[in-house]
Amino acid sequence: MRKTIGAALLALAAAVPAGDALAQAANPRNTLVVLREIDADNYDPPRSTARSAGETIYMMSDTLVALDFDMRTIRPLLAERWEVSPDGKTYTFHLRRDVTFCDGRPFTADDVVYSINRWIDPATRSPVRWRAGPVKEVRARDAYTVEYELNEPFGELLYQLTLFFASIVDRNSVERLGQNFGVQGFNGTGPYCWVSWTPRQDLVLQRHPNYRWGPAGMYQNPSPQVDRVVWRIAPESQTRLAALQTGQGDVTQYVPPIAVQQLQRTPNIRMSRQDNYFWDHFMGFKVDKPVVNDPAVRRAINMAVNRDAMVRATWFGTAVPADSYLNPATTGFDAEAARLVPRFDPDGARRVLDEAGWRMGSDGVRVKDGQRASFLVYGLQTQAAQQYLQAIQADLRRIGIEMRIQLWDATVGWGRLATQEFDAFVMSYPYLTATDGFSLYFNSANRPTPNRMNWNDPATDAALREAQTAVDPAVRAAAIGRAQRIIAENNVWLPVAREQLWVASAARVEGVRAHGIYGVALYKGLDIRLTR
Amino acid sequence: MSAATETDEPIAPPRPGVLARLLREPAAAFSLLLVVLLIAAAILAPLLAPTDPYDNDLSLAMQPPGSEGLPLGADAQGRDMITRLLFGLRVSLLMGFAAVVLGGGLGAALGFLAAFYHRWLDGPIMRLVDIMLSFPAILVGLAIAAIFGPGIFSVVMALSVATVPLMARIVRGSAMVVMRLDYIEAARATGMTDARLIWKHLAPNCLSAIFVFATLRFGQVILLGSALSFLGLGAQPPVPELGAMASEGRNFLFFAPHIAVVPCILIFIVVLAFNVLGDALRDALDPRLRV
Repeated sequence: MRKTIGAALLALAAAVPAGDALAQAANPRNTLVVLREIDADNYDPPRSTARSAGETIYMMSDTLVALDFDMRTIRPLLAERWEVSPDGKTYTFHLRRDVTFCDGRPFTADDVVYSINRWIDPATRSPVRWRAGPVKEVRARDAYTVEYELNEPFGELLYQLTLFFASIVDRNSVERLGQNFGVQGFNGTGPYCWVSWTPRQDLVLQRHPNYRWGPAGMYQNPSPQVDRVVWRIAPESQTRLAALQTGQGDVTQYVPPIAVQQLQRTPNIRMSRQDNYFWDHFMGFKVDKPVVNDPAVRRAINMAVNRDAMVRATWFGTAVPADSYLNPATTGFDAEAARLVPRFDPDGARRVLDEAGWRMGSDGVRVKDGQRASFLVYGLQTQAAQQYLQAIQADLRRIGIEMRIQLWDATVGWGRLATQEFDAFVMSYPYLTATDGFSLYFNSANRPTPNRMNWNDPATDAALREAQTAVDPAVRAAAIGRAQRIIAENNVWLPVAREQLWVASAARVEGVRAHGIYGVALYKGLDIRLTR
Repeated sequence: MSAATETDEPIAPPRPGVLARLLREPAAAFSLLLVVLLIAAAILAPLLAPTDPYDNDLSLAMQPPGSEGLPLGADAQGRDMITRLLFGLRVSLLMGFAAVVLGGGLGAALGFLAAFYHRWLDGPIMRLVDIMLSFPAILVGLAIAAIFGPGIFSVVMALSVATVPLMARIVRGSAMVVMRLDYIEAARATGMTDARLIWKHLAPNCLSAIFVFATLRFGQVILLGSALSFLGLGAQPPVPELGAMASEGRNFLFFAPHIAVVPCILIFIVVLAFNVLGDALRDALDPRLRV
C-alpha cells in the first residue's frame, strides 16, 4: 500500500512542471542532458578537488592511464604502454601518436611534461600535489616518450595518474587564459570539448570529432557517440527525479537513496549500479580528547552501534554496512584487519565500559573520575549524516554514552572541521586503494587535516611509508595490511557505510555504465548513445 | 494620538471583566481553550507521551499514521510521532516564550525610556530601533548561528532581537499617550522618583498594549522560530522542535508525507490559536469597544 502511494506520488511529481532551469522543451536530438546537484568552482584539473569538477574534466581531457570498472586494472589511455625501472623510481610512458587536442593540435610528450610540472609546481597551489608522488623530474625522451623519475619508489603512482588532477592540458590555452583556464575555456584531448559554462546553470560540451583513443578493453567504442553533452545543475532531488521522468534530463547519479527502489520499478527509467565503488562514510575520533581518548570507549562505541539497522534506515538498501575500514574489493584490503573491527554486541559494549571503570550515572550517562561519558560530534549538514547520527546517538544512549551532534552548513563546515573544538566527526570520502585512503587519513604528517583524529603513531607512519615506497608488491601489501590492523585494533574510526553507486537514465539513453572513479559515475561516457 | 484622547479615561489595565468579555466571543473562547490545552500538553509532555522521545526503533521507521500502536505514525528514526510532537511543542513554545519575554522585556524598557525621557532619548532610541527593523530576522538568525553555532540559543537570540524594535515602538506609542495625562503630572508633583513613576504609574497603564502585542507576537515568533529551525539553524538532533521535524520530513515528502505534514499542521494550529487569541484580547481590552 505504502509503495503504491509512493509510486503514485512519484508519478505526480513527474507531472508537476520542474523548476525554471528545466522548464524547456524536451531535449533536442543527440544532446545528452546530465543532471547534477552542484557546480564546481572551476574546471582546471590541478586546482579543483571537487567531484563535480572531475565529472566534466574526465570528459574534456585524458590521463596517461585509465582505471577499469573493476577499480584495480590500469588500462592504457594516452600512454599505450609503459615500463617501470627495476628500482621502481623511473616510469617510461610510450604515448599514442594519433592524439590531438580539441583545437586540432597534435599531442606530444611535451604536453605531458608541461601538464605534470604545472600540477606539481608550488605556484599552481594544487591541494593534491602529493598525489603526483615524490617527483624528481618529468622529461620528454623524444616526441612520444615520457620519463617520469621519482626520488623514491611510489607504488601508487599509476593509480594516482588515473585521477583527473593528472589530466593533460594544452599549454597554449593555459598560458592564454591564465587563471581563467577551466573558467572561460578549456583545451584537452578528451572525447568532448568545452563549448560554454554558465556557473550554477549548465556546462555545455560537444563531440571531439577526431577522438578514437578511448581506453581499450573498457568501452565498446573508442569514440564518443553523442553530439552534445549538457551538464545541468538541479539542486533539488525532487526536481531531478521529475526532470528525468519527463524527458527534461537524461541521466543522473544524484538519486536520493529512498527513490532508488521506486525508480527500479519505473518502466521508462534504467538503473545502473557499480558495486566496486569506494566512497565510504565513517566517524573519526580525536584520540587526544577526553572520553574518546579512552580505547575502551572507542571499542564500546564500535560494539554498540547496530550498523545494519542504521544503514538500512539511512540508505534504504543503496549502501552496505561498513564492517571494515575499507571496501573488500580495494587493492590492498586486509581481511585480518577487517576481522578486528568489533561486531554489534551492546551487552559486550556495556561490559567493556564497566571493566574500564565507567560507572553508570544517575542521568543515564556513565562517569569515570568525574568525567561524564559525553562527546561532541561535528559533520556537514547532509540528509544522510542527520539520519545515521541520530541512530548512532540512540544506540550509544543505550550503553550510557552521550553523543552531542552539531551539523554545519558546507559553507562554514569545512572551516569548523579543521579546528580542535570537537571530539569526533563524520565524513565521507572517495579512495582508490588501501594505501591511498590510509595515507590520507592516518599519516601523522597530515594532522590536523585530513588526519583530524590527531592519530600520531610511528608504527603506522612506518607501515604507510613502506606501503608507498617498497618496490616489491608483496612487501607493499604486507605493510598496508599492518597499518590497517593497527588502526582497527585501536578503533580510531567507527566505520559507518559503503555507498553503492547508482545511475538513473531515461529510456532513450543506452550504454550508461556506472564507473565511480573519485565518485564520478560517467567517466569517459564513450558508450552512451541516444536512441531518439 | 487624538483617537486615544477621545475617551476621557486612560487605556485600562486588565480588569476582572476582561475574561468574561473574552469568553463571550466563541472564536476567542475556543482559541483560549486551545492555547490552554497546548500549553498543558507541552508542560505535561513527559507524562502524556507514550514513549521516550529519544529512543528509536529503526524497524518502525516511517510507519504511516494508523499503524498498530502509532496513531500518527513514526518518523524516519522509528520514533512515535505523538511523543515527538509533544516534546517538539514543548521546545517550540519554550523558545517562543523565551524570545517574547527577553525581546519584549528589552523592547518595553527601551520604549518606556524613549517616552519618559522624550527630549534626550527618544531620537537615539528610535533611530536604533529603525536600524534594527531594517534587518530581516532570518538574516539576523543566520549571523548569530554563524557566530555561536546553530542551536536553540541562537534561535532565541535571533527572535529576541527581532522582537525588540517592534515592542519598543508599541510601548513608546502608548506610553507617550499616558505621559500626557494629568495623573502623571500629579504623581510627579508629589516628588516621586522617575523609576518609581515609570514602575507604578506608566507601566501598569501600558500593560494592555504590551499584553496584546506579546500574545500576537508569540504566534509570529513560533512561526519564525520554526522557519529558522527548518533551515537547520535551530534545535539540533535529537531534540524535537516542530520546524526541525518538518525539515527532516521534507526529504521523505513523496514517500512518508506524514513526517513533514503533521508537525506543519501543529505549527499551523499553534500560530492560529495565538493569533486569534491576540485579536480577541485586543478587542476585549479596548475601552472604546466596551458597551
